[in-house]
Amino acid sequence: MKKTLALALVLCIVLAFAAPAFADAEPTEIEYWTFQALHVDFYKTMAEKWNELNPDRPITIKETVLDYEDMHSKLGIALQSGEGAPDLVDIEINKFANFLQGDIQLLPLNEELAPELDNIVKARVEIYSKDDNYYGICFHIGAAVIFYNAKMCEEAGIDYQNIKTWDDYYEAGKKFKEAFPDKYWASVETGDVWHVWPLIVQAGGDFTTADGEPNLDSPEVAKALEYNRKMLDEGIACVAPGGGHHQEEFYGYMNDGNICSIVMPMWYLDRFTNYMPDLKGQMAVWTLPVWDENSPKSVGQGGTGTAVTNQADDPQLTKDFLVYAKTSRDGAIVAWNDLGFDPIRVEALDLPEVKDAENVFTEYYVTRPIDVLMMVKDDIAGHNNNSVMPATLDTAKANVFTRAYTEENVNIPEMLAEEQANILY
Amino acid sequence: MDKQIKKKKVSVSTVLMVLLFVVLGALTLLPFYSLFLASFRPGTELMRHGLGLKIDLPSMSLNNYKLLFTGETPYFTWFLNSVKITVVQTVLTLFVSAFVGYGFAMYDFKGKNLIFTCVLFVMMIPVEIIMLPLYKLCISLGLMNTMWGIILPTIAMPMPIFFFRQYLSGIPRDFLDAARIDGCSEYGIFFRIILPLMKPSFASMGIFVGMNSWNSMLWPMLVIRTNDKITLPIGLASLITPYGNNYDVLLAGAVFAVVPIVILFVLFQKYFIAGMTAGGVKG
Amino acid sequence: MKKAPDGIYIEDSGSGRRLKSFAYNARIAPYVFVAPFIIVFLIFYVYPIISGFVMSFQNVVPGQTKFVGWKNYKILTNREFKKAIRNSVVYTIATLATLLPIPMFLAVLLNSKKMVAKGFFRSIFFLPALVSVVVGGFTFRLIFGELPTSLLNSVTAKFGAEPIKWLGGPKQWTTYLALLVLAIWRWLGVNIIYYLSGLQNIPDELYESADIDGATGWQKFTRITMPLLKPTTIYVLTISIYGGLAMFLESYMLFNGNNSPNNSGLTIVGFLYKVGWQQNKYGYASAVGVCLLLVTLIINLIQLKATGFFEKE
Repeated sequence: MKKTLALALVLCIVLAFAAPAFADAEPTEIEYWTFQALHVDFYKTMAEKWNELNPDRPITIKETVLDYEDMHSKLGIALQSGEGAPDLVDIEINKFANFLQGDIQLLPLNEELAPELDNIVKARVEIYSKDDNYYGICFHIGAAVIFYNAKMCEEAGIDYQNIKTWDDYYEAGKKFKEAFPDKYWASVETGDVWHVWPLIVQAGGDFTTADGEPNLDSPEVAKALEYNRKMLDEGIACVAPGGGHHQEEFYGYMNDGNICSIVMPMWYLDRFTNYMPDLKGQMAVWTLPVWDENSPKSVGQGGTGTAVTNQADDPQLTKDFLVYAKTSRDGAIVAWNDLGFDPIRVEALDLPEVKDAENVFTEYYVTRPIDVLMMVKDDIAGHNNNSVMPATLDTAKANVFTRAYTEENVNIPEMLAEEQANILY
Repeated sequence: MDKQIKKKKVSVSTVLMVLLFVVLGALTLLPFYSLFLASFRPGTELMRHGLGLKIDLPSMSLNNYKLLFTGETPYFTWFLNSVKITVVQTVLTLFVSAFVGYGFAMYDFKGKNLIFTCVLFVMMIPVEIIMLPLYKLCISLGLMNTMWGIILPTIAMPMPIFFFRQYLSGIPRDFLDAARIDGCSEYGIFFRIILPLMKPSFASMGIFVGMNSWNSMLWPMLVIRTNDKITLPIGLASLITPYGNNYDVLLAGAVFAVVPIVILFVLFQKYFIAGMTAGGVKG
Repeated sequence: MKKAPDGIYIEDSGSGRRLKSFAYNARIAPYVFVAPFIIVFLIFYVYPIISGFVMSFQNVVPGQTKFVGWKNYKILTNREFKKAIRNSVVYTIATLATLLPIPMFLAVLLNSKKMVAKGFFRSIFFLPALVSVVVGGFTFRLIFGELPTSLLNSVTAKFGAEPIKWLGGPKQWTTYLALLVLAIWRWLGVNIIYYLSGLQNIPDELYESADIDGATGWQKFTRITMPLLKPTTIYVLTISIYGGLAMFLESYMLFNGNNSPNNSGLTIVGFLYKVGWQQNKYGYASAVGVCLLLVTLIINLIQLKATGFFEKE
């Protein structure tokens, strides 16, 4: 008995140390990590198309889907230690700056991107760049829009298409409140940034400065927060149940018709179709109101930059494939029709496969999302992206919004200065 | 046990105790119950109504489970990976930790307190700070993406060592001397006499180690590189992310993740009770 | 305690004497027994611990890591970190106050001869421990939802209470309560089993003789049960202190992320995770980790010393 046990133990340990490192059997297998299962389908579809076009350089996608934080942590460790990273990886924009420090472990895509650079919305690769090197390509523009419940607007006598400025939006809110005293015109997030970031950028500000300093205590941030606070105090807006527009509780509350409008980026289209089926035929996508004539019509929001790591087995092939998948006409069509992403390729909006496509989104919404995109496409602002952004946004999500929206008698500029001083960077 | 005496006393205290345990038991089961109900409804229902306690047959179906068994999510791969790692890890860790714990409990030797402080040290160290160097280490040992990479660093686990040490300190050392006089070697004492005595503690630690292993997430997540090796907690977490949309699979998967373990536990229970009441350590 | 005199068996003569003398050598044996731990410690922990300690004095960036002295330790004055410490300490105290006495009491009841269906109840209490934190946290997040229709609010409404924003609401105690309830739910059964296991070591004769002396149930509990459960209590206390101060995943799952409103659910390890893993500042994270390690170790060493755990060598 004891001998067998001891022997088994020794054997186990010996085997463990003798186990060979895993080797890739296929040279053209591309290891790909993501935190969003839908992106896998996109790359698999694109890989098929690539293989048709490049029969001499075929590839297969070998994916690993992990939780959002898990995946970024794992990538951080793998790049830091120089082993274990994939060939191709999705990095969310809020995290991207983490990977642009020290000796950058991602490969520049400048050469491969050069021929396509004029065909795409340049801002969507610039947000993933450092020192004029592009390290990632976005899935979408992520244009901030506003989602109105058109049915409720009509019942309250509000023409949402005529809401041009944020003042109009506020006045419409008052009108809405008279018609629906126990419902809310708008919803704000305490745990996320999407509801307010476009308002800040439209006012000419941002959470961070262009030269990489936190910028929470700027007047533009205060302006946007005070605007929302006023609506909250007057009962026009509510704090999203669960604290954000990605929470289970919010989906249910919105789906029950308790909130009339929310500011979210275009990629939020599929949250409605997936989680809020009752609002089918009621929701309209529309352009954001503006502060004044100087405000950009929309702001590119969020995004996921796919990057090639310096541990890629075949860097050239991986880079070529990535550029093809993200910037080609084929890629734009798949991104729009399968994922509901507003493609980064400029001409995409004019393609019949995009413009006239009927899909779950055109079925669900009373306006055609693509038309809204056409209205704003030439005036989409970007935001700064730098190494202090992850820490700044964490502070915003944990403290700033909660305090701005729920603390009694809060002095917003003072609160912002206080929070700014606590950011670790 | 004297049955007559027991029978007579049943009335008041037994009823009170059972009542207390029924209430506590019901509270404990409540989350399971609501999750179980939710697993028969579409994910959108969960958004709409949250977790409920009412059985509403018309809105219930087996669709989520169908999706789980036939859908694209590699749920069963995760499941089998978890089972495999849990079994191997539990058996090895229990054995090694019992071996070490026995050494601490039954001998006085130079450096004992120092070495035991090291055990405590390993137990208390926030695994997050040694993650990066440990990761590098496992790469150079060739343990990445293998089950052994997950298991070996915790094979001599501090908590079970500590537990076995505490447990065995109840055994009088004279007992060992008696065995020595009978001609048992030091290791023979452990294997022939002590191991059988440790059954009850194996039952409780087995569950502890097994549960730890079944639920462990951070380190396996770093060791694993390919989809075919992902374990259940990592897979389930990937379904909850704000960017996922797999609530249907998640609900059924969460419930299904519990079911087999409960069955195992109930089966194991027999041995468990036998082990506990055998009480070989008494006196 | 007496020990067999060393070398007493070595006098045996015959073949295989050296091996035999090794197997019978009570002086070498303890080192053989603890060897697996020492090996694992040397292989897997010494280097990472030293390296983690060194990192706490560095700015860790790929390819450009450099020493920055005590800079990382300035993080200790950060307001968020202080909040994290407060949360972790409150949580630890709350779990100690509940998860030591209650399971001990319930275990005694479960062990009593008058109890029926012992195995059944034991299994029920143990069930939550079998569920991964991921699933448990997700379930409790929905139970503690803030809407009037959420499970807990819909129950309290039956007693006329207003719906409460339990998680990260204006009152800090609701968050603590939710975390504590989750902890009790998960750990009650585990601790009951530890105590049950410990109770098996108490000889029945002690109770029988106490009965003859006419002791009450309470006297038996305080004079026999509690003192004899001491090794178990020391163990449970030690792991609970550690578990409380190291709690993270529960809060993470309950808040669906690490950014709880006003950091009401942020714990020390949560903070470590936030700076180290969400913001890739391994240097800062290591500094926090080193402090956490020292604090838990010191608390536990004091606690173990005070309870007479360490013996003379």
